[in-house]
Amino acid sequence: MTNLDHGKFTRMTTVFHSLLAMDVFFLFFTGYAIMFNDELWWMLTLMGGSGSVAALHRVFGVGLLALITFWILMMVTTDTGRSNFGEIMPTPGDAKAFIQDIQFVLGNEDERHPNARQFAGGTADEIPLLSYVGKGVVFIFAAELTLLSVSGLLIWSKTGLMQYFATQTAAMAFVVFHGLLGVVMLMGIMFHIFEHGFHPAFFPVETKAFIPRSMIPEDHDDDTEGTGIEMLELSPAWASATNLAGAATVIGIVSVMLASIYDTGFPVSTELIVGGGPSNLLLTVGVNIGVLVLFLGMVLSVYGNLVRMRWEQRVQEETESESVDVETAD
Amino acid sequence: MSNATAENGASSYSGTVIAVNAVISVVVALGLVWVVNGFNVFYERLNRVSPTVEGGGIGSAFDAGNEMGLLVFMVEAIHAIDVIMGLFILVLVFVHWGAFRRLAARMRQPGESRMVPDGGADDDGGETQ
Repeated sequence: MTNLDHGKFTRMTTVFHSLLAMDVFFLFFTGYAIMFNDELWWMLTLMGGSGSVAALHRVFGVGLLALITFWILMMVTTDTGRSNFGEIMPTPGDAKAFIQDIQFVLGNEDERHPNARQFAGGTADEIPLLSYVGKGVVFIFAAELTLLSVSGLLIWSKTGLMQYFATQTAAMAFVVFHGLLGVVMLMGIMFHIFEHGFHPAFFPVETKAFIPRSMIPEDHDDDTEGTGIEMLELSPAWASATNLAGAATVIGIVSVMLASIYDTGFPVSTELIVGGGPSNLLLTVGVNIGVLVLFLGMVLSVYGNLVRMRWEQRVQEETESESVDVETAD
Repeated sequence: MSNATAENGASSYSGTVIAVNAVISVVVALGLVWVVNGFNVFYERLNRVSPTVEGGGIGSAFDAGNEMGLLVFMVEAIHAIDVIMGLFILVLVFVHWGAFRRLAARMRQPGESRMVPDGGADDDGGETQ
């Protein structure tokens, strides 16, 4: 089991995060099987061909619309939700945290800025709800998901769009826009998986996102200096696993970025283009490694929930044995 | 007496609000799909081939669509955003990778004897009272 740190999120948020993750992973798998079909032809075949994949993509799309609407309602209709808006606003501290992170890597700073620190440990009082990356994720994903939903709804009925613009190519332009928009999120999620799966204190998954804060004991020694990370033991698998996952993440991001440049469908070509060939081999391998990173993310998300269930069980067992102790003492 | 499951003063969401909002969001999602499904074509008006009309003819709608300023700009802009964001995300990956390596070097290495006899978090989930 990974080391518990201070909890951050409510059960509603952790459950929502898991559902959103699953839905988005399946949207990626179906959507990019279509857009990057040069590279991911096997996924298209595996999921039953283009018709079936497009249908599945729509099903998960409706799921995403429901999830987004639910989140907006929760943030607007509840006091807890409304209080979050103050928490996600970027502060000068966030800019400093980014600079300090670079300085930390270069060895010019000894600690990560509190706004960057993922492992709070003994410094939990200084740590804001979201790190600078966390705030960035909220803003970028909010913009992305809004535009993806709007463009997704627009291309739901392509003939309608064609009629509105009085040209068939307009539908293609929106389809391409929708796919290219998702690439930012695709790359962001790969980084997100690396960021929260391979922090040495949390490896193989940061349980904050899965175990609600109500289930995590919040007391700690105030006399320890700093985070106390030096008291934790590094997992023997961390170094090799992180090098492998880091390399796969970098290759995946670079590959989908390059694929997004090549695999464009607008302006619609008036000539037939024959794609593929050995020159695309590297890109094919790279994009597939990227998909592997996403798959790893999905596995880690499931594992995070498994850890939560085990922790729940243990807390329950401890509470039960304690109540038995109290009874016998009486 | 320790009680790990107690609410530690943190605010949370009420079950009723969650249930009501869940129902509303499913209705909204299905409603949106219902609306866009109605956003359909009236075939009598769509892209009629009018070879006799000036500027009409087969394929002209294709060319016109390829040259629509708004659509061209939209796609070009998102291409640029993909590359810019991709490079920025790569910087973030490397910064975190580097930071993780420094943090890992500070931790007790695998198999290393325990330097602090007490107070350290165990691998079984930290300290309990």
